[in-house]
Amino acid sequence: MKPALPILAALFLAATSLCAQEIVAGLSSSRAQVGEPVQLVVTIRGARGADVPQTLAVDGLRINLAGRSTQFEMRNFKMSSSLTYTYMIVPQFEGEFTIPSFGITIEGKTYPTQAMRLAVSGSAIAPQIPSLPQNASPLPPGTAGSPQNNGRPFFGELVLAKKSAYAGEVVPIELRFYFNTRISGQVSERPIFSGEGFTVQKFSNAVKRDQVIGGTNYSVFSFQSAITPVKSGTLEIPAASLEARLKIPGKAPQGLDDFFSNLPLPQGMFAEDQDVKVESGAQKLEVTALPKDGRPEDFSGAVGKFTMEASVSPRKAAAGEPVTLRVTVSGQGNFEGMGAPALSDDEGWRTYPPSDKFQSADAIGFTGEKTFEFAIVARQDQSRTPGARLSYFDPSTGKYATLIQAPLPVDARAGAAAPPAAPQQAAAPADTPPPASAPTPDITAMSGGTSSWSALFFRKGFLAANAAIALAWLAVVIVFSVRRFSASPAGRNLARKKLARQAFVRLAGADPEVFYDEVIRFLSLRLNAPGDHASLSERIESSSFPEEIKASLLRSVERHAESKFAAGRVAAPSADERSCVLATLKDLRHEK
Amino acid sequence: MKNKLFLPLALMLAISFAADLRADPLAQARARYAEGEYAQAAKLFEQSLDSSPPQAAVFFELGRCLRQTGQDARAALSFRRALVLDPRFAPARAALVATNTDLGLPKPGKNWRNQVLERIPMDALSLSGSALFWGSVFAITLLVFLCPHGAKGWLALAILCLAGSSGALVLAGICDPRITDRNMALVLRIGGSSLLSSPAEQSEQIAALPDGSMVTLLLQRGKWYYGQLPDGRQGWLLTEGIVPVIPPT
Repeated sequence: MKPALPILAALFLAATSLCAQEIVAGLSSSRAQVGEPVQLVVTIRGARGADVPQTLAVDGLRINLAGRSTQFEMRNFKMSSSLTYTYMIVPQFEGEFTIPSFGITIEGKTYPTQAMRLAVSGSAIAPQIPSLPQNASPLPPGTAGSPQNNGRPFFGELVLAKKSAYAGEVVPIELRFYFNTRISGQVSERPIFSGEGFTVQKFSNAVKRDQVIGGTNYSVFSFQSAITPVKSGTLEIPAASLEARLKIPGKAPQGLDDFFSNLPLPQGMFAEDQDVKVESGAQKLEVTALPKDGRPEDFSGAVGKFTMEASVSPRKAAAGEPVTLRVTVSGQGNFEGMGAPALSDDEGWRTYPPSDKFQSADAIGFTGEKTFEFAIVARQDQSRTPGARLSYFDPSTGKYATLIQAPLPVDARAGAAAPPAAPQQAAAPADTPPPASAPTPDITAMSGGTSSWSALFFRKGFLAANAAIALAWLAVVIVFSVRRFSASPAGRNLARKKLARQAFVRLAGADPEVFYDEVIRFLSLRLNAPGDHASLSERIESSSFPEEIKASLLRSVERHAESKFAAGRVAAPSADERSCVLATLKDLRHEK
Repeated sequence: MKNKLFLPLALMLAISFAADLRADPLAQARARYAEGEYAQAAKLFEQSLDSSPPQAAVFFELGRCLRQTGQDARAALSFRRALVLDPRFAPARAALVATNTDLGLPKPGKNWRNQVLERIPMDALSLSGSALFWGSVFAITLLVFLCPHGAKGWLALAILCLAGSSGALVLAGICDPRITDRNMALVLRIGGSSLLSSPAEQSEQIAALPDGSMVTLLLQRGKWYYGQLPDGRQGWLLTEGIVPVIPPT
């Protein structure tokens, strides 16, 4: 025990030598409803005591001191402390209020707090859970309806905004988990909560505040959400739980309890880590089915209290240009289950299923506005848009109501450019359009687009087909050109020359009996003359060949005549004779 | 005997149909959308687009899902893609206008090219233009070779058709968004991007590009693009968060 004493003394001294004072004052919320309590928390760091006013006088607000707590913290062997004074503010009526600066006296010196603003609204537009019962609100300690701590270091509470509801109605809930401020630790981000017969919205982020219950300071973690009952009858809302790892204060070593209990020791001195699951209690909700009497034909499931307004853009549309009719439904209720408003007076319009977007004004999607965008294209020239109507069930009156939006002025020209509407949509009656979230399997019919990112010009099939056509055209051009050339004098001349060359080739290997026949054929082709001897002789005579060649050629013509007309009596040409004739004709192969 | 065969056959068909429905991401996506599970539906629509040829309607539906989940810039990209595939898809055009309004971006401009796109399907124009072109070419060829001195009226008509079809093909070439928007891209980056005077992060900013802005990419150098804004200003921007309107194949 002896070695421990100097250490404890040093800690005690350190605790007394605190840092310079720092005062921070703030509101748990800058907005509230009439009657909804708000906390004003003043935190003073570096002081062990302070004089604060018990009440603050602000016209329209009731402000009373609710409690005080002290916290010690040791970090890197440096001790710090903070004092927390909690005031409860209960707004008396609507308005914008300023809580003026007030003085806090510490060791004879007065420090001012900063002024704060609080907006108090009626019950209709509160962004927080709007209708939580008063006994569930964070009330000052000792007030009737405060949660009963029964000395427990931590506990949970499930608060329903109402005890009875209609099927499909959104019921805000709040899960609150209380932890004695002497306990430190971490809590999980979201509570565990589910059940049968209702759907649950996503939970808001935890909001932490301090509350004094029965003279004990608690840190309260609250999570807001909403449930929507889906069937009638008594609904059992099971308990929710929150997992936490806490530093539970332990006991001092045996025999030293009295000594330590008299010292202002920092938190966590004898604490131990413990994983706990903090549970809220279960609740019951009486659920009534929506009445069948008075249900409008176009009722599509909206339950709550709503208003509706619409706008159109552009106000002037050229032929075939779509106009966007934007219908905004705002208020409180089950926006998720809300179908699109029905269009009326839309005979001259081509309409499409709307897109929708929800903008929540609170953390749980209970208050907000849902915008439906209808793309409409005029079938005939139009000066007014279609109207819109939305039927909903109002749980506060227990009756159905219908919101009606009158047509808006627009100047839209009719045009055939718009894509054809799907048959189902075209045939659908105006007052029963598909709900916004309904599947639109026939939407593909509205699009006549392609299934390729490549333009037709770059697709292989198109290129191949065009190349084939181009080749075919080229072939046609070639065929026709060749035919035309062949029929021309030049073509014929060319063909004759070719034949002459072929004849000369045959001449070299011709049999002796037909040698002169081939000679005459060659000469006829070469000189472009008929095959008879007279004509051929005339051509040779009139040609520009040298005289000796002319003589040789005429001799060959004679030899052919002899061989033809004196068959059997004329000897076949000798090898020398053939050589001589071929040598003469060889020079004539190519025309000049 | 027939009845004995019919029952198992019908059962097999029903099972195979149900299995197909389960396996079809598009059907699943639409079912999820109907149930209000927009994030899940968007994933399934993307899966469907990954596994099958692109369809304007599916991109439109994907855009609607993304709008529901608050991803307006990605929704704008989907609507633009729907319009690239089908420029006459009026709901997609209206949705793009609304999305751009919500993003604080200018509406898509109205020019003669858009007017043409809204009225004439590009593939049909290319196909008919091509057919008429070749028809005219063949007609002229035959007339020239077979009737060189006659049928001047027919020849004039064929030449007129040739000129018309050539004009149609040129029009398709300069209007088809799959050609003209080939280098278009969108900024999909939380906080947007910046158009800089040189490819260095410390260089002077020419313009701030909010999420969903359009930019024409002119060239790429490393991690930088050189791009042009719709108002004609040119500069450098980081490749990160820049998504082409026409997905690279």
